[in-house]
Amino acid sequence: MPDLGRAALVTSFLLLVYALVVGSFAAWKGRKRLAVSAQNALLASFAATLVAAVVLFAALARHDFSFQYVADHTSRELPLGYTLTAFWGGQEGSLLLWLLVLTGYAVVAVLTGRRAGRDVLAWVVPVLGLVGTFFSLLLVFVASPFSTQAAAADGAGLNPSLQNPYMAIHPPMLYLGYVGLTIPFAFAMGALLARRTDERWIVATRRWTLAAWAFLGVGQLLGAHWAYVEIGWGGYYAWDPVENAALMPWLAATAFLHSVMIQEKRGMLKVWNVLLVVLAFGLSLFGTFLTRSGIIQSIHSFTQSSIGPWFLGFICLITAGSLVLIFARLPLLRTKTRLESLVSREATFLYNNLLLVALALTILWGVVYPILSEAFTGQAASVSKPYYNFFLKSFGLPLLILMGIGPLVAWRRASLRALGRTFLWPLAVSIGAGAGLLALGAGSSLIGVIAYTFAVFVLASIALEFARGTSARKALGDTGWLEAFSSLVARNRRRYGGYVVHASVVLLAIGITGSSLYGTTREARLRPGQSMTVADHRLVFRGYETTLESNHRSIRALVDVYRGEKYLGRYKPGKNQYFAEDQVSNEVSIRHDLLTGGDLFLIADQVNSDGSIDLKALQEPLVNLIWFAGLVFVGGALIALWPDAREQRRLAERYAGATVRV
Amino acid sequence: MPGQRSPVRLIVALSVAAVLAVFLLYTSIAGGGTPSLRPSQLPGHKERVSLAGKVVGQPRGDAHAGGLRFTLRDVEGTATARVVYRGSVPDLFRTGRDIVVDGRLRGGVFVAVPNTLVTKCPSKYVPKKDR
Amino acid sequence: MTVVALVVGAALAVACVVLVALPFLREPRARNDRLARPDELEQRRLALAEERDRSLEALKELEFDHRTGKISDDDYRELVGPLRRRAAEALRALDLRAEHTVEAPTPDQAQARG
Repeated sequence: MPDLGRAALVTSFLLLVYALVVGSFAAWKGRKRLAVSAQNALLASFAATLVAAVVLFAALARHDFSFQYVADHTSRELPLGYTLTAFWGGQEGSLLLWLLVLTGYAVVAVLTGRRAGRDVLAWVVPVLGLVGTFFSLLLVFVASPFSTQAAAADGAGLNPSLQNPYMAIHPPMLYLGYVGLTIPFAFAMGALLARRTDERWIVATRRWTLAAWAFLGVGQLLGAHWAYVEIGWGGYYAWDPVENAALMPWLAATAFLHSVMIQEKRGMLKVWNVLLVVLAFGLSLFGTFLTRSGIIQSIHSFTQSSIGPWFLGFICLITAGSLVLIFARLPLLRTKTRLESLVSREATFLYNNLLLVALALTILWGVVYPILSEAFTGQAASVSKPYYNFFLKSFGLPLLILMGIGPLVAWRRASLRALGRTFLWPLAVSIGAGAGLLALGAGSSLIGVIAYTFAVFVLASIALEFARGTSARKALGDTGWLEAFSSLVARNRRRYGGYVVHASVVLLAIGITGSSLYGTTREARLRPGQSMTVADHRLVFRGYETTLESNHRSIRALVDVYRGEKYLGRYKPGKNQYFAEDQVSNEVSIRHDLLTGGDLFLIADQVNSDGSIDLKALQEPLVNLIWFAGLVFVGGALIALWPDAREQRRLAERYAGATVRV
Repeated sequence: MPGQRSPVRLIVALSVAAVLAVFLLYTSIAGGGTPSLRPSQLPGHKERVSLAGKVVGQPRGDAHAGGLRFTLRDVEGTATARVVYRGSVPDLFRTGRDIVVDGRLRGGVFVAVPNTLVTKCPSKYVPKKDR
Repeated sequence: MTVVALVVGAALAVACVVLVALPFLREPRARNDRLARPDELEQRRLALAEERDRSLEALKELEFDHRTGKISDDDYRELVGPLRRRAAEALRALDLRAEHTVEAPTPDQAQARG
């Protein structure tokens, strides 16, 4: 069986090399049959990779410990779900997942990519082939999931903190995002290589970019939620390099999503856009590199692996190659269109882009500074939270307010008088809200009040957009408010879906502000019967409860929670001791307050032999808005992604009248 | 207004300058990162640093009462440093683990900043193995 | 290697070879093996079509923004003229292009014929 897996990967590798080499030749010389042959090679590589993936899944399901990978990442007692998701639990498996998603996406891209033009597609194939060749090369020669050993009796098991549903689906979600950014990159390069000056490649990849960006966002939220409930320190983001690895490409992709709209509407910023897509893809490769090689000392210090230098080399190759290509095609990308006014929607998009890229680059600097410092001065250094938090506030707050300003400003040139009128209502509401918050005591954090005020401004402006649009549609003849509203959204899916996504980001910002700036933390050592207070809750420790499970022993502290006289329930923070892995995991207990959206977070910091407990309790206001924002985010993205028959017809007509036919 | 040079380049240049200014201002005030040292490099440093090493010997005391005392050794080397730590102790902390903790050298003992102890998972996905 | 593995492996190999060779198996002697590439004419037509769509879209947005109050009456009056003119120009240029392509065969059509 492992031989089949290896053979399948070798086959995939050969097919991808074929797609790269023959595809380039075919596109360069304009040979139709060779180009189709290269396309087919790409399709076939998916089949081969799928076979390899099935072999690995089967080996996991059978507990075949003659596979080194299976033995390293699963054990007999591991529940089936986690046994299967251990597929991407290790380096080799996650590389295989990358390749599987890449080739799978390539199939869809090839089958639907004719929309971008056959000549562009002919170049997309070798670009995808190049990326695929890299990953399959690693899988065949450097990090194979199919190495064998003498079959062990049992496996090493999965790290207990990874035995969690969020962590099980977090990697595939992220990968659907990371890999998804390859497609717009390939089409952008394809259009440049084919010497095209039109926007077809943008139209063809619009949904890809949006979907990849959405997956990347959801993947990060899943990871943050896992950190919150599983690692359980009371937070959800630690600015760890591995977390930043996913945030940076997401920020670049956000910038790209917006600037592409400018190119569609005004035909400007072509060079900026193509640089952004290279940045987004490069950061996504860099993110995979950060997570998978031991290059950065993070709390997830993976074993120093041999794939690091390969990744670095490939990233340099891609970056250098793309920049050379862009430079060579610079004349094609020049436009005569000018930015007409500093107060226009194009300008706000430009400011938004600059802020997003600035934030991504400062995070990048924070991530690579330790390596560079060690390499150049011999002195290792580390960059910690205050650095990141400072720049998050410096760039994040302006970004927040821009989300509210942008939609209210017209394209080309907005008149200041009209602006004054449109801003009046949201401004009034937000100032009122700010005053109200100050009265309620939110003044303990200045940044917090500013953030909340900005958030209200954005929500008000979004509500205004929906309201005005609906009444305009109603004036055009739609009967009833509901019909006007639904036809408004249906006719402008991207715009109103985008507004919903903006709203979700605002909810995220509110949740982050509340939980970071207005929370309370208390620690105390309690003997049974003693109590402590945090915010307006009283916690009484009643003693320990120990139970024996199939693969671990669970120790729980029994804590009764009261608010005033009201009994809110018994909560059990504690620890699990895993036998096979010889590890202890932290099991926190969280009380969600549905009314306020806050959480009471209980951590059994230290279980003492004398029967007492060192209990840590955190009050986190509004933290559940963060997870709710994730749902709204998905909803908004779906609205924006939803196919629009009218738009498809218009685009088909635009690109149909080709006088050259094949 | 036709004929005028696009302000885009000007905006980009000004923004880059602004961002750089903010960045330089921050790093000059807050410093560029905390030095990350091994026990062998520690003597002589009086400022707040990040100490990384392997826990050797038996930790004594209680991090939540009086302080947890343990000894850190260079991961590859023999130099050691005595550490006293207060605050939350990660579950993975034990003799033989590699850890990182922030703090200052005071009177020959490294006094840690509370709640800055971080253990390096031996390997996030795979227990340490000779490959 | 088990029998299943051998069979699956062989099937995979055969399928891949067939798939890659398919275009050549289908058309051993292709009349026109040239990859469709938009020539100068076609590129200009595409650019014009995109310009036309952009102007029409901008007009629609201007109307909508005016209706929802984002643009004042004065600004609307100022902006709508040039936009309408631009859209009309783009439409006219496209029609001219279409006339030209109907009258004379494109270089590619001529080559395919002869």
